[in-house]
Amino acid sequence: MRVQELILIVEDDEAISKMVSLSLQQQGFKTLIAADIQSAKRIINTDSPDLIILDLGLPDGDGKGLIKKIRSELMIPIIVVSARNDEKEVIASLDAGADDYVIKPFSIDELLARVRSAQRRFLGLQPSFNVIICNEIALDIEHHQITLRHEVLKVTPTEFNLLKYFILHRNQVLPYSRILKEVWGVGYQHEMQYLRTYINTLRKKIEPDTARPIYIQTELGIGYRFTCDSTNLD
Amino acid sequence: MNFIFPFRHAMISFLLLGLITIISQLFTSQLGLLNIALIHLIPVIVIAIKGNIRSTMVITTISVVVFDLLYVPPLYSFDVHDLSYIWSFIIFFTVGYTISYQAKKIQANAIKEIFLNTLSHDLKTPLSSILGNASLLLKEQTNDPTLRRDILIQINDSTQRMNRLVANLLDSARMQDIKSPLRKEWCDLEDIVGVALQEFRYNPKQSQIQVAIDPELKLFWGDCALLVRLVVNLIDNALKYTENGKKISLTIKNNDSIIKILCFNESDPIKKADLKNMFDRFYRIDHSADIGGSGVGLSICRDIVHAHKGVIEAYNISNGVCFEIRFSVSKSPSDRLNELL
Repeated sequence: MRVQELILIVEDDEAISKMVSLSLQQQGFKTLIAADIQSAKRIINTDSPDLIILDLGLPDGDGKGLIKKIRSELMIPIIVVSARNDEKEVIASLDAGADDYVIKPFSIDELLARVRSAQRRFLGLQPSFNVIICNEIALDIEHHQITLRHEVLKVTPTEFNLLKYFILHRNQVLPYSRILKEVWGVGYQHEMQYLRTYINTLRKKIEPDTARPIYIQTELGIGYRFTCDSTNLD
Repeated sequence: MNFIFPFRHAMISFLLLGLITIISQLFTSQLGLLNIALIHLIPVIVIAIKGNIRSTMVITTISVVVFDLLYVPPLYSFDVHDLSYIWSFIIFFTVGYTISYQAKKIQANAIKEIFLNTLSHDLKTPLSSILGNASLLLKEQTNDPTLRRDILIQINDSTQRMNRLVANLLDSARMQDIKSPLRKEWCDLEDIVGVALQEFRYNPKQSQIQVAIDPELKLFWGDCALLVRLVVNLIDNALKYTENGKKISLTIKNNDSIIKILCFNESDPIKKADLKNMFDRFYRIDHSADIGGSGVGLSICRDIVHAHKGVIEAYNISNGVCFEIRFSVSKSPSDRLNELL
């Protein structure tokens, strides 16, 4: 029998924490609620939750400090909840070690999708195989090629590296600077124009409708997310 | 003559000043210096009522200069021998400043009042829909799944509408805050259209929107978040005023110096006066009161376009209405990129 996983919700607004808690319970999770950082720390020590949903706008301090503290001691997924127009805080939290984010107001579906994808990553359900299939795209790491609908995709080396990076980090939010650093290298973190241009050409090669992309999603002001609805591993 | 429009009151003050000069020149001896000084205050008051301190100061200075030059001895020179005239100049400026300061305050209050009225209306409409539908679900334990779904869709639509309104207000506040200038970066307008369309992914009319983007579209140096808001508001507007099954199209064209965004929707033509005024804050075309929406959307579009030094206009074409935005390309991505391609 699978043990029920415990999710800690750190949120000072009772209406929201209640709603999130109820929806998570319906999905079979156990939940605990903390209204401030102090009680969150206490619960983390005593109940050792499996995942944390953390609102960044807490009354008693900076959520980033808590993220760093959790990261230094535990390897559990952290999903931050942020207000709109606060992209800087989100990026800082992701850099501090948070795994994902949602922006208020968010739908429960959105949050549940984030929880599931964070869990998958942390439970190691994605062992490294040689071929990763993402809908109609397949990355063959060994043979260094990408296929779209079973045909080899013609891409430049940079496009290949970018797409490979995306597929290896599918369903994760990837901040601009991180993509630039990982794909282009240190010193390119601020060269947004490269990224924008390459995303545009890459979309033209893989997206059925570039105005309504299904793979490369833009996370406005933060980065991109490569979405795979069903990831099959061969 | 459109470009004169914002300076209308300055023009009126200028004409008044000219008229006053003629009268004063003709009747200098009858009027006396004191009365001439007083009538030179009239253009200052006329412009000051508009509440623009800068143009008030310009007119005041001109008025003072004309007065000094033509009537204060020695004539036709800026020399002032009598200290009391310095006082009259100070009084000119004080009057001008005080009136325009007060006028500005009154205007701000009036705007605030309209703002609150519109806002509460625009919040109340979706709110009452949410409240009504939610209590309907609570009270009637309806088992009809289609009815339940309809009710929930309405609740969802209304919350989306409120969410969009709040987003607009936040962006509007951000643009008005001088301390936080635009966050400019390289934006891919195609990407921006994609993000904007995402906001309408649950709207059944969404599939009516045809998108055509110049394949040679260059990156644009702008505030991406605000540009998304611009496209969202254009689409929102088009969806609101287009009947089911009618065409909506979003086109982006690009040449060396200009990027053009065109948002077209099939509809009846709009009156000429409305075409011009609909970008004003809280303006709503009379007969459209029944269509849920705010007078905020298009005015924010205008603010966003102006903040990017662009032009926005609306015009009727054969079978519908077209919104056209033109941005001039002031900055191109560096050529270093080509080396990497």
